Amino acid sequence: MPHIEITDASVRIGRVPILSDLTLALRSGDVAWLRGPNGAGKSTLLRMMAGLMRPTDGQVSMFGAAPGPAARKRVGLVAHHPALYEDLTLDENLQLVAELAGVPKTRVDEALEAVGLSGARSRRAGEASEGMRRRADLARLLLVDHDVLLLDEAHSGLDREAGGLVEALVERCIRRQGACVIVSHATDITFASCTIELNEGRLK
Amino acid sequence: MKPRYALLGLATIGMVYGFSWASRMPGDAVQGESARIISVHVPTAWLAFLAFGMTAVFGIAWLVTKRAKLDHLAAASAEVGVLFTGLALVTGMIWGKATWGIAWDWGDARLASTAMMFFVYLGYLALRRATPDPVQRARRSAVLGAVGALQVPLVYFSVNIWRTLHQTQSVRPDGASLPTETLISMLVNLAAFTVLYLGLLLWRADQLRVEEARLAQTHLTPNAGAAVVPPKLQPGS
Amino acid sequence: MTFRKQAMIILRRDLRIEGRSGEAMFITVPFGLVALFLIPLALPLNTELLSTIGPGMFWVVTLLFGMFITFRQSAAESSAQKEQLRMLGVDPAARFTGRAAASAMLLLVFELIVAPAMIVLFAPAAVPGWLAVTPLAILAAAGLAVIGTLAADLTASLRTRSALAPLLVAPLSVPLLVPAAQGLESIRTKNGILIPALFMVAVVLAVAVIGVVTAQPLEETT
Repeated sequence: MPHIEITDASVRIGRVPILSDLTLALRSGDVAWLRGPNGAGKSTLLRMMAGLMRPTDGQVSMFGAAPGPAARKRVGLVAHHPALYEDLTLDENLQLVAELAGVPKTRVDEALEAVGLSGARSRRAGEASEGMRRRADLARLLLVDHDVLLLDEAHSGLDREAGGLVEALVERCIRRQGACVIVSHATDITFASCTIELNEGRLK
Repeated sequence: MKPRYALLGLATIGMVYGFSWASRMPGDAVQGESARIISVHVPTAWLAFLAFGMTAVFGIAWLVTKRAKLDHLAAASAEVGVLFTGLALVTGMIWGKATWGIAWDWGDARLASTAMMFFVYLGYLALRRATPDPVQRARRSAVLGAVGALQVPLVYFSVNIWRTLHQTQSVRPDGASLPTETLISMLVNLAAFTVLYLGLLLWRADQLRVEEARLAQTHLTPNAGAAVVPPKLQPGS
Repeated sequence: MTFRKQAMIILRRDLRIEGRSGEAMFITVPFGLVALFLIPLALPLNTELLSTIGPGMFWVVTLLFGMFITFRQSAAESSAQKEQLRMLGVDPAARFTGRAAASAMLLLVFELIVAPAMIVLFAPAAVPGWLAVTPLAILAAAGLAVIGTLAADLTASLRTRSALAPLLVAPLSVPLLVPAAQGLESIRTKNGILIPALFMVAVVLAVAVIGVVTAQPLEETT
């Protein structure tokens, strides 16, 4: 059974078609590099796969069922812009996620250590650099064991040292029989097992 | 003939008949000839309540079914409601000026509450105007319409809860307090204005439907990404 | 995780953010105090007039300026933050409840600061047993919090949000303003505050129910 399956799905926002007649399946072990020009609909496709957006036509199933809260919890989504609260410290942002996910707060210490932010944990997110914010956003994925990772430009802002973080997170997910979709313009995803080419809302 | 034209025609006949009874009304001992305005003021106030209640009903129905026609009806009902609330306020002020010597009496809880209801629905129309996406617009205005409809019972019962200057409800369950001609005029106009509401509702809802369909066709919107092409500026150029 | 626990986490998050940003306490409260100060300056010098209108001005300032507490930037969640909460399985209704509860607590603090200021500036006539108006102040804070939180959700991501949200809240708050303003008069005339309080409870509950029930549909984008 695919982790995520999309069948003849189209998305229109208002009058504007974003995605048209998409059919694809994401299975255990897949590391898909989602590519396409600006405006192709990559972020919209990721959000549909995350169960955050219903298709205007067609169907999406997550883990064999309709998208819902239980399915969404099994998916780790890194959006274009880090979802951090500016006035909370990097540590507090992760503590909040841990609390809502119901995982021990000790995982936060391990996650910050893993992404190299232990020394900067007390810095407010609004005062952190873009790279630090991106690392903290990626650290969220270490708090919960996700079955699917959807990463939208997750490399952006990362320095050369942290560049391997994305691949490490993907490896961790695949080891658990998970699947990943990575959107990246600037970085070649050499570790991808397949490529999804999107253009003007359609699969090429 | 389209139903809306028949309804508007019927409403016109009804109002002419209603106003003919209004002309036969005796002048009030206190209010004089200005008492006749009750035959317009009460129906417009009733329509204001009806329209806003229906805005909420259509909006909730849209939330359940997501049928675009229900959103058009909700928006049309709000627009008609704003119009008739404005008329109710103006006729109320004219009546107040003639009866109590001041156009606006802050001792009148119903007048003030009706004015606030007017503003709630101006806010409703402003929210619709500010939301470009049709589905978001329908959803958000449906929720606001439901909240706004809370104002309707407030207005109706405020006279009883905070009894002030305004005339208590003219038609009470235990019997009316008005002369027969006035009562007939008011009830005929009540029916006529209700038919007028239905006619205007269908007319305006149809206009909104046509407008939305025209916009969808006119743009023949290409896919979002089709507008993006490789930039001309490249290294070495 | 239970609804209540999720709402409490959101409440604590909002209060912590407010503690850091200080937007409500250090910007909105002084703004309300300035408004209270401006009113007598715009009126003839008449202490009797001021003492009569003082309590009413307290409610007006609470409503018109307190609503900005519910719209504070620090409580405005970005799309990415809302999506993160959805991915974590946070019930949108719990999110609404937590945010409204945080706003209500901040509004109570607003009232606690503005009320003594009103007493000093307007010198209203003492009404025996005036403390009985306290439940109305609590209900006003709760009501304004749910109405403001709902208006914030209705205007999320709109360009004209900063003007549109107050336009939506102001008239919807009239069912709170009128009975609250009646409270002191009811105490003075020994009629008690039960009817105004019940009326306000009905308004608060009705809007809260609508806010909770519509929280999930309002988060959908298609």
